Amino acid sequence: VETFIEEMKRYLGFTEGDAALLQMLGPRLEKYLPEMAERFYSQIPFHSNAFRVFTGGEAQISRLKQTLQRWAGGLFSGVYDQAYAEERFQIGYRHVRIGLEQKYVISAMGIVRSFFNDCLLQEVPQMEERLPLAGALGKILDIDLNLMCESYMRATVQNLRSLNEQMERANRQLAEAGHSKDQFLAHISHELRTPLNSILGFSKLILDGLCPNPEEERQLLRDVFASAQHLLGLVNDILDIGRIEAGKLSLQSDEVSLRAILDSTLPLVAIQAAERNLSLIDATAGVALPVVRADEVRLRQVLLNLLSNAVKFTNFGSVTVRALPNEEPEGESGAASPPLIRVEVEDTGIGVPPEKRESVFQKFFQADPSYSRRLGGTGLGLAISRSLVELMGGTIGLQDGKDGRGTLVWFTVPLASHKPSQNPIAITQSAQRRTVRAEQ
Amino acid sequence: MTSPAGTKPATPYSILIVEDHPLVAKFYRMALERAGGFNCLVTESVAEMLPAVEAGRVHLAILDVSLSGTEWEGRNIDGLELAHLLRAHSPAKLPILLATAHAMSGDRERLLTASGADDYLEKPIYDARYLVEKVLRLLTGNASARQAGNPSPSDPNRASF
Repeated sequence: VETFIEEMKRYLGFTEGDAALLQMLGPRLEKYLPEMAERFYSQIPFHSNAFRVFTGGEAQISRLKQTLQRWAGGLFSGVYDQAYAEERFQIGYRHVRIGLEQKYVISAMGIVRSFFNDCLLQEVPQMEERLPLAGALGKILDIDLNLMCESYMRATVQNLRSLNEQMERANRQLAEAGHSKDQFLAHISHELRTPLNSILGFSKLILDGLCPNPEEERQLLRDVFASAQHLLGLVNDILDIGRIEAGKLSLQSDEVSLRAILDSTLPLVAIQAAERNLSLIDATAGVALPVVRADEVRLRQVLLNLLSNAVKFTNFGSVTVRALPNEEPEGESGAASPPLIRVEVEDTGIGVPPEKRESVFQKFFQADPSYSRRLGGTGLGLAISRSLVELMGGTIGLQDGKDGRGTLVWFTVPLASHKPSQNPIAITQSAQRRTVRAEQ
Repeated sequence: MTSPAGTKPATPYSILIVEDHPLVAKFYRMALERAGGFNCLVTESVAEMLPAVEAGRVHLAILDVSLSGTEWEGRNIDGLELAHLLRAHSPAKLPILLATAHAMSGDRERLLTASGADDYLEKPIYDARYLVEKVLRLLTGNASARQAGNPSPSDPNRASF
């Protein structure tokens, strides 16, 4: 700005003499400043665009008129230094920011110029005296106009640049989103084709008469049925993920008995557990559990998911479910959020290596694909569970089992009514443990 | 159709099946054995398949692309890498059929180029006779596979497990 104003002064031949002349002129034109400001802003109706900018009504206009008078007063100050230039240079930036077009300012400056010329004519009738004053005034007005235009230009370039950056960023994000969408689709397509291969393949073998042995045929039909069930699970999971990602999964907020959830969910995995000789332990049996605020169906879905995972990935030992008051504070805003209860599902199974503990909550991630291939599973269960738990106001996580073996997956869910003084549940060491037996 | 349902032409060709999904592998085996009369070696283990390939006892390999249990030199390899490995160890050019559930546009060219495989089948593959035809066509190296279904007795690759 400093060099710019120096260049302008040189270009226009602005001298110390001009500065002195303007300083003399200042007091003589002071009384015209209010009228000048009136005329300046009387131009607004001719610029429909300006109406969009000056939305502050009369109060705003009268503030602007005062600013304009100060600005005009500055023209006669005689000090045309860095600070002077900076102040005037900022005007363009401010205008660009509020969307005031440059053409409005240029034409308004034209009005100021002709108005000052009229004033000059009135105040200094002698031509010999008036001409040098008019010359000096013209030069300083030119400097101001140039400063403003330059700042408009720079602000516009700056705006364009940042707009460009924004667009590039948005473009990159779109491309990334598109890429992960493509990957998701490719993955779904892949996952759906695998069970379809068995369903179509085995039924066609039977239909083509390539399986004459009735016992073998029955086994193939069992394979078809299992694959179709797997396919159904996939379809349901994909629909859930789709709804979650579209933000269209709406959950009920009911008062749900945690006891009832446990009692209705455990039997669903009891048969699988029994088949694998695992004990399924309800560590909360016989303990009064609190009422939580949740979507009953979805809460059961989360629990069932964690329990089936535990049973699936455990070859010997047990799967234990327990509930306890959540002791860890929930982030910084913990004070405002309702107390939570923590539900844990612990197994003595193959475990999840620490580096994969975050990834298992991602879509289609399977810690050990070869295991999952054999055991079935969509790779979506934990991703869905995480979203569901979070939608219900809790969190979910995974850690080593208590004695360093197996896996412990926990999640929290808000209590229905919260009275801080009241301990939500008290499960003592001696709490009765109950092994859930498969009802066969 | 190559052969009437239920009959088994005396085809001594041996097919290697590498597929990590047990039910899909089971289907390939049943289809190839029953509709084509082929011998099948179903394995995910490189240690198990390599000697058979080296000895010329494998006439064609059907490879899945995404493999979860196939390792070579201490790391997991996929069907594309396995294709190159098998080719490198095969005494004669081994026909390779990729069978994959990767079926998005562009996958076919990408996978064929990356693996050097001869052909590509998109899952679901469920018609046993179609699979047999495809395999025969690759084995005999021409389009008249149906007539050339059985190799001549002098075929050097003639062998079975």
